[in-house]
Amino acid sequence: MTTQVDITDVTNKVRASQNTVIETTHLSREFGQGDTLVKALTDANITIERGEFTAIIGPSGSGKSTLLQLIGGLDNPSSGDVFLDKKNINRMTGTELSDFRRDHIGFIFQAYNLIPVLSARENIEYIMLLQGVPTVERDKRVDKLMHAVGLEGLGDRRPAELSGGQQQRVAVARAMVSKPSIILADEPTANLDSKTGADLLDMMKELNTKQNMTFVFSTHDPKIMERAKRIISLVDGCIVDDERRS
Amino acid sequence: MAIQTPESSNASKLDNTASSATFNKPNSTYNHSSQNTLIARLAKRSIFRNTRRTLLTVLLISCSLAAILFTDAFVRGMVETMVKISTQTFLGEGQIHRFGFREANDIDLYIEDTTALYQQLNATKAIQAFAPRVLTGAMTSSSENVASAIVYGVDAAKEAKVSKLKLAVTQGDYLSGIDGEIIIGEQLADLLEISLGDRVVITVSEANGGVLSQALFRVSGLFSFNERSMDIGMAFINLSQGQQLLNITGVHEVALRLQHLQQAADNTLPFWQTLNNDHIETLSWQELVPQLSSMLAMTKYSTLIVSIIMYVLVCLGLINTMFMSIFERQTEFGILLAIGTRSKQLFYQIMLEGFFIGLLSVTVGLLMAFVLCYWGSIVGIDYSELEMSGLTLNEPIYLILDASSFAIMGIATLVVTLIASVYPAFHAARLQPSFAMRKTL
Repeated sequence: MTTQVDITDVTNKVRASQNTVIETTHLSREFGQGDTLVKALTDANITIERGEFTAIIGPSGSGKSTLLQLIGGLDNPSSGDVFLDKKNINRMTGTELSDFRRDHIGFIFQAYNLIPVLSARENIEYIMLLQGVPTVERDKRVDKLMHAVGLEGLGDRRPAELSGGQQQRVAVARAMVSKPSIILADEPTANLDSKTGADLLDMMKELNTKQNMTFVFSTHDPKIMERAKRIISLVDGCIVDDERRS
Repeated sequence: MAIQTPESSNASKLDNTASSATFNKPNSTYNHSSQNTLIARLAKRSIFRNTRRTLLTVLLISCSLAAILFTDAFVRGMVETMVKISTQTFLGEGQIHRFGFREANDIDLYIEDTTALYQQLNATKAIQAFAPRVLTGAMTSSSENVASAIVYGVDAAKEAKVSKLKLAVTQGDYLSGIDGEIIIGEQLADLLEISLGDRVVITVSEANGGVLSQALFRVSGLFSFNERSMDIGMAFINLSQGQQLLNITGVHEVALRLQHLQQAADNTLPFWQTLNNDHIETLSWQELVPQLSSMLAMTKYSTLIVSIIMYVLVCLGLINTMFMSIFERQTEFGILLAIGTRSKQLFYQIMLEGFFIGLLSVTVGLLMAFVLCYWGSIVGIDYSELEMSGLTLNEPIYLILDASSFAIMGIATLVVTLIASVYPAFHAARLQPSFAMRKTL
């Protein structure tokens, strides 16, 4: 049996911190109405510091992906707010939110979700093209990132010509290329074999450590849980535990 | 502690790439050119993702465009053929009469001063040739039978330059100017039970008094215009004898052949004014046979109707294709939106896909239409013996290629494809990332 932990007090104490990068207040998301009403997330209050390596865990249907979507501005909450670097993303216009996601959030998805008609290199530089980064700078960053994720020589290949692990590396490079402050990863290792998954996690962990990049995962993967500095547990849309590790 | 793998050690090489993870300031001056290039690249590649579907769509649009242009070229050809048949067979592209003659068919109303008129006609550059005529209703009698007909007195040489009377002679000879010769329609000859060389008596009322006048003729030729009313109801004698028969010195009608057929429709040309005065009226074929003119105007509308139907089908086909493509790529659009693509940019991408499909279709369609229409303009389409609005299409319809039609229809098709793309593009742009990616995130 699970019991909901009231972490509001803890959250409030942290809220004032200058280091806070993600803050949700009374965040709820409901789908349907009347008899078909489903509460996917209920009153979630979370504060995440810059540089944290956080895993959101819970059984299927517990609201992990919904929480990640709301934090990333991919969905609108039924109630509550999401603050990213003190900015309320729910008050932003569509264009402002698009630009904010482009410049501040990196996404890594379970199914890689690369653009199939673009090559690996083009997938990585896509966001920089949207940002209008000059060609020289763009090429420099893509080259370094491809080297960093071990994809040298594979830049011209389309996603269909890459293995699952290679595709996910492209996805990681794409998520990081715009130097975002937050990376949201939805079960990034779920479709990878254990060795590839572990390698990828180590790479992300190192980026987190060296560059103080904030990672938030939704996962079932024990490998992520053992590397996470903080584990937030969700059950039936409610936060039931928030464990910080040294 | 992180395990050092080749990949994880590679991550350290990012130190100079991704500096401290602070919020980046958005680039205030976006490089629109790179964004446009990116959107164009995505659009171009996306349309060839499902090559078969794209080609089928292109085929639908290009065939529709080719069909529209073929119809247009056919209608133009048909109109010109019908006008030519109507005017060059006998009517002429214009006619001059004494005022009131056409309404009353009164043989007393003839043009008296023909010398001055002929001088004026000879001096008018727009007029290629003219043919003076006298005409009257007559009773034609043979030894076997009697029939009514309109007897024309014509100047054989001049008539040959204006009408196809000489070409219509199927037996015997054309008029040579000798008194006593007559050419009659084949069906009239059958009715009178006569043939070449047989005698025919023409009985008419003289002008200015109505005294009966008769003359004996010998059939020198038979003609056929493939037009029943003409072949059974007309006979031709020489102009001078016709004038003698009617006891007049002038003519009832002068048929005109213009330098260009289009001059008949342009009533701003000076000769239409100078050849109209208090005594005579000069009318173009449109005014002489308004029913044909109206019918041709209606025919032109048929092109518009066909075009509208085709464009509606094109629109529906393209919307269907675009929506199929969009639903297939819904997740991808969700990703594009999630990683920072603006809705507006996604809208432009879909519109650009529609534009590329349109451009490809227009290119293929124009090429197909050109080949088809060019073939039709050389070979012609045989509609011989088909009668339409009293006209027998006794020569093939040669399609007429019109550059302005190709340009207008090409642009219209492109515009239609863009219009058809608006709704799918709007739908894609309004997608919510979480909804679009429901299957993945």
